[in-house]
Amino acid sequence: MTSTPYEPTVPEVDLRRRGIRLGDVIFKGIAVVAAVAATALLFLIAYKIFDLAWPAIKEFGLSFIWTEAWNPVTDDYGALAFIYGTVVTSLIALVLATPLSIAIALFLTEMAPRRLAAPIATMVELLAAIPSVVLGLWGILVFGPWVADNLEPWLESVLGFIPVFSGEPSQAGILPAALVLTIMIVPITSAICRELFMRVPRELKDGALALGSTRWEAIRAVVFTYTAPGIAAAVLLGLGRAFGEAIAVNQTIGNQNAIPTSWFEPGNSLGSKIAAEYVGATSVLQAGSILYLAAILMVISLGANVAAQFIVVRFERARRAV
Amino acid sequence: MGSLVGTGASFPFPLISKWIPAVDQAYGINITYSPTGSSAGIAGITGRTVDFGASDAPLSPDQITACKGCVVVPWGLAGTSIPYNIPGINGRLRLTGPVLANIYLGVITNWNAAAIRAINPGRNLPDLKITPVYRSDGSGTTYNFTDYLSAVSPAWKSKVGVGTTVNYPTGIGARGSSGVAGVLKSTAGALTYVDTAYSLSNKFTFAAIRNATGTFTLPGLRNVKAAVSTLPKKITSLKQIKIVDPPKSAGRQAYPISTFTYVIAATSSGSKAADLRKFIYWAVTRGQAFGPPLLFQPMPTSVQAFAFREIKKIQQ
Repeated sequence: MTSTPYEPTVPEVDLRRRGIRLGDVIFKGIAVVAAVAATALLFLIAYKIFDLAWPAIKEFGLSFIWTEAWNPVTDDYGALAFIYGTVVTSLIALVLATPLSIAIALFLTEMAPRRLAAPIATMVELLAAIPSVVLGLWGILVFGPWVADNLEPWLESVLGFIPVFSGEPSQAGILPAALVLTIMIVPITSAICRELFMRVPRELKDGALALGSTRWEAIRAVVFTYTAPGIAAAVLLGLGRAFGEAIAVNQTIGNQNAIPTSWFEPGNSLGSKIAAEYVGATSVLQAGSILYLAAILMVISLGANVAAQFIVVRFERARRAV
Repeated sequence: MGSLVGTGASFPFPLISKWIPAVDQAYGINITYSPTGSSAGIAGITGRTVDFGASDAPLSPDQITACKGCVVVPWGLAGTSIPYNIPGINGRLRLTGPVLANIYLGVITNWNAAAIRAINPGRNLPDLKITPVYRSDGSGTTYNFTDYLSAVSPAWKSKVGVGTTVNYPTGIGARGSSGVAGVLKSTAGALTYVDTAYSLSNKFTFAAIRNATGTFTLPGLRNVKAAVSTLPKKITSLKQIKIVDPPKSAGRQAYPISTFTYVIAATSSGSKAADLRKFIYWAVTRGQAFGPPLLFQPMPTSVQAFAFREIKKIQQ
């Protein structure tokens, strides 16, 4: 007796039955290409900047970073004055904008009557819609003179024992530029903080209040702990904006290529110098030096971003450990 | 109907604006010009993104190399004014080259300094801090101003020098003529340098500057005309038409801070060559008549002859 051997039948492969859709493949392909393109663009831009800066890097080496000089007539260049300007104006703006943004966001989410919250939020966000060149014009024509006539003398009378707050008031300088940057950072940071605070689960806040904490204790214990990584990220986003701002700073910082002894005095920043002088470079070395400044600015910005991500991750871990 | 696009210095902009409709009528050439600054003009023609560039400053050696065969043709002549903002002063301020240099060097810091009072007898100069204001962007007017200061002050020449951007030791830098104008208007005690047409249209008061004969002059037409009166009859290179700080032989009227302004075009301009030659030739001859109401002095014949020779070099 012969028995038919068992031959397992291989069913015909039907793509649709197996769940692979052509649309998904295409979508995945486009997403991968976009991600790769973005990464490639970052490396291409970085490479090109360093390549164009090469005449200056070759000439000055790393000492360019801590040399305070900028003389197109003798072709002698150094970045220190501009690094100081960028870092100081951005940090001052950060220190002022962070509590301000958190306060605005808290007001809008916790304290404002619902009807008022939306219009006020919109108006704060509209501040971000003002083009930086317009803000710079306002800065030099209106705000700068006000700062020189009112704010700077008051600061000198209160904090004059600190060298950076003493000196002749000037309508263009580190302080007016830092204040304009603050106005630019606040809308972004407060908008993000507001979104974060709105997402805090009500039960957590209610629970804290039920346990007898005051409004402020509830906010501090619940809202801030819950949203700490997000606030850190928002603050660093604002810092990134401040580092890169060129035009508004160029109009308000006074364009003096030196480190000022007082924050009332004119100084200069990386972005402002690049915007002002690249087009007018009269020698190859000057053009290369300006691109060297661009490379330094890029490194500072990228560094701040990497630090931001690191801080966010650490906060996340701390929060989850609670 | 040809068309030409140009960009560059804001100094000649009022004059070019008058030329544009006239050239359109004469030759049917449609010209657009945007005042973006001498440096942007040089960059534009170097990159061949425009048909001609305009600059108040001559090209540096690196810029000439980068431009790869460009001609630089003088087509305008005017003075750079020194406006100031001193509230309550009774009459026009007088300044000399060395005093101006010392102000911008930060050596003289107050309007009631002895050096300033000595040349301004009878003026009630207040106890007010001087704020020198300068251009933070690359500017041909800066070139003209620093060229003058280098000629009259050895200290300036060694410490700072000449250029479209220089390392000013003190003061506030602002972007563009409108930037310096804004700072000047809102800062009591400010002093700056800007082309005369701009000063006039903004109703600034500007200082009278002492020339080599000891006379204090303003940037008027006959003063600028006197400044070019000592140029050689045959001009073969741009280096011969430096007119800052003219010598005594230029006369008592000469204004010391005058400058030519230039148009820059490529020697191989392709299809635009014929229109460019027509336009620039017209500007250098009939166009000069539009200058006087804007305080642009018609150029002397020796400079015109030089211009004609350079225009011929613009070919396909």
